[in-house]
Amino acid sequence: MFKTPVRATCLVLLFASHSAFAEAPPSRIDLSKFPATRLDDVVVPLPSEVFNVLDKLGTPDWKGELRPPDIKKRGARAQIALLLGSVIAEGFVAVEATDKERVKEIGRDVLQLARGIGVEKTVLSRTNAILIRADENNWVGVRRELDGALSDVKKAMIELKDAQLAHLVSLGGWLRGTEVLTSIVGKSYSPDGADLLNQPDLLRYFQQRLVDMPPRIRSNALVGRVQRGLDEISPLIHQKITPASVRRINEITGEIVRAIDTDAHA
Amino acid sequence: MRRLGALVFLSVSVVLASAFATVDDAISRALEAIDPYVKQGYVVRDDQWGGDLGVREQKAFPHTLFKGNDYWFCMGTDADNAQISIHVYDSRGKLVENSSWQKGRFAAARVIAPTTGTYYIVVEVANSPQERTSWAMVYAYK
Repeated sequence: MFKTPVRATCLVLLFASHSAFAEAPPSRIDLSKFPATRLDDVVVPLPSEVFNVLDKLGTPDWKGELRPPDIKKRGARAQIALLLGSVIAEGFVAVEATDKERVKEIGRDVLQLARGIGVEKTVLSRTNAILIRADENNWVGVRRELDGALSDVKKAMIELKDAQLAHLVSLGGWLRGTEVLTSIVGKSYSPDGADLLNQPDLLRYFQQRLVDMPPRIRSNALVGRVQRGLDEISPLIHQKITPASVRRINEITGEIVRAIDTDAHA
Repeated sequence: MRRLGALVFLSVSVVLASAFATVDDAISRALEAIDPYVKQGYVVRDDQWGGDLGVREQKAFPHTLFKGNDYWFCMGTDADNAQISIHVYDSRGKLVENSSWQKGRFAAARVIAPTTGTYYIVVEVANSPQERTSWAMVYAYK
């Protein structure tokens, strides 16, 4: 471990000087000849990576983007997993809105939903930390804990041999995140903002994950609704993203997120 | 018989313990490599990727990067005298990293994503005294 930033910087410089002797990487590689990439190797970005960029896009009306998810309507585990992801994404919106009380509510909601799928203990320390960081107005810290809660829940589910639910948590977060992103970009369209939606491979990854789910999950009406929504979004993301396509993606993701909130017993 | 069972159990435990230690050590190295950037304000993701690779063997991770974000991808291995590398390519296979470095058991690449889209993080064990070399990757962004 480095004790001071000076030592850390020295180490970086030392590494950099050694790299001069390393073999230069090819400036171009043929990806088609590359060993096939497994679905498991796809890195799903964290919500904070998207919100980090949104920070740089000006000062949207974040309070206007907040919505009150109703976590009392809880149904099948698939719905709870999707809702958990969506609520964690909502936490990021509350952070942007610097709404301390909403952040604390979301921390408590995350704990309740985690209890609903048997991973309460895993997130307890995270949700406690969310409440403390919110009281301190430490918004960077809250973001870190929300990211951590998402990762911890997914790891716990994988350990419980429930990786499918872990994918649904990620998907719930992506859907709510995309709804917010398209709302903000739609209100003040710019090519830079629209460029953030250029995520065709990530969308394909989620679509494939749903296809690979066992029949007991795929037969869930809500999961089917989500799958149809992703299929509708796909052609919109695979072409030049226009103000009209931003609007349409916002409508589709908004409908799905509402279905996740309300379609508890589907 | 009981003694034989105990020996088998002990052997299995030692093998398992060393396997976990190897992965854990590689993760520690990767975290060590990224630590200076954390001190520069990068937020490190609390997840790790890893496995083992043969000499000159590569592995690619597709990752959606967002325009405007500044990323450091760091790799580490526990193998003494191994040389590893990590580089970032865009979806057309073009090298897009802004800088990179390699130093034996550590390697890193930085990219400020020029557009939002899929990028490939390519890791390689360039040289190693071991047939299979454990490695781990972490990343940070700001």
